Amino acid sequence: MARDLAIDLGTANTLVYMKGRGIVLNEPSVIAVNRKSGEVLATGGDALDMIGRTPSYIAAVRPLRGGAITDFDITERMIRLLLQRVGVSRFTRPKVIICVPSAITEVERRAVTDATRRAGASDAQLIEQPMAAAIGANLPIDEPVGNMVIDIGGGTSETAVISLGGVVALEAVRVGSFDIDAAIQNYVRREHGVAIGERTAEAIKIQIGSAEPGPQDREADIRGRDLVTGLPKTVRLTAEEVRFAIDEPVAAIVASVKRCLSKAPPELAQDFLARGMFLVGGGGMLRGLASRIERETEVPVRMSPQPLEAVVLGAGHCIENYQALRGMFMGANRLR
Amino acid sequence: MTAVAFLPVMFTVLACISGSLLLVLVYLDNRNSRIDDSIDAFRRHIDALSPESRRNSVLRGPEDGPRR
Repeated sequence: MARDLAIDLGTANTLVYMKGRGIVLNEPSVIAVNRKSGEVLATGGDALDMIGRTPSYIAAVRPLRGGAITDFDITERMIRLLLQRVGVSRFTRPKVIICVPSAITEVERRAVTDATRRAGASDAQLIEQPMAAAIGANLPIDEPVGNMVIDIGGGTSETAVISLGGVVALEAVRVGSFDIDAAIQNYVRREHGVAIGERTAEAIKIQIGSAEPGPQDREADIRGRDLVTGLPKTVRLTAEEVRFAIDEPVAAIVASVKRCLSKAPPELAQDFLARGMFLVGGGGMLRGLASRIERETEVPVRMSPQPLEAVVLGAGHCIENYQALRGMFMGANRLR
Repeated sequence: MTAVAFLPVMFTVLACISGSLLLVLVYLDNRNSRIDDSIDAFRRHIDALSPESRRNSVLRGPEDGPRR
């Protein structure tokens, strides 16, 4: 008998929760395939190391962009591999809950469920990421009080107001930490005439990136390819430059949080001032982002103790209580 | 003769009326139970989201599960 699974199929990382066991897999959402034979060569961390460093016959790709499937076949293969790695075979077909962005279209929704069923699931249900994040962050969403959760992922940022087990207001933008990396790449190309890869841009973001000036502002040397000479070149970037470079995506995320606040009913708005907003997702770990949101919205922001795992833990709770919580799944009749 | 011929018709009519009455009662009973069901379902839904219910899954955290 297969154990049922909850999967956070993120743009950046994929996490799998197994019923009764907890998180059993956590790795980057990357797959490397042989273009000639179609064989899978690596997944997860191994495939991540290949990005931007492969010969022409190998493609190391992220099959999801902006929380949506960009390559159906590769996504299906990745899900099939994930299920195999956690012990699912053709004779054991578990129920699977997949966390997806709330702004997903009907076509994208069908693509995810079809890919999961074809990969070996007996039943595939979807749950909105902010809802799963609120459950996983252990917010008191069973009470009639306003709980606000901001989930900043690799490809999407979503803000939701939740009360009495349901979403009251929701705002989502297809801007995430990969857009912040892309903004750094564009800045270095434009201002320094040097091309850098997405992994280098991500490393700069982690090292010296910030959304607000802070006491720990530093500089970093980065290596790339000079666009004029074509030769390797090292340039020095300051924290202030990086802050300037990433201001556009950061401002878009903060603006979406403000829009969600403005959608919330006044009765719940007073709760936010007392209880604050909860930040989850890897993108929320950007230095100074919480304080910038706090400064611009005048509402306290708290970081979840498990920002990377909150979504899959929430979905895992739903798989543990499948019957009682099935009304939460996307497309389900509420509270059947 | 007329009375004897009338009896089956009367029984048929009575059977139809009592059958219809039974259907109406079953429908009303089902309607009531559906309202109760929805209240129970909402209660189960909220209970499943309570901190006590989440203790075993969410609060256990990622440390307890084996990772690859």
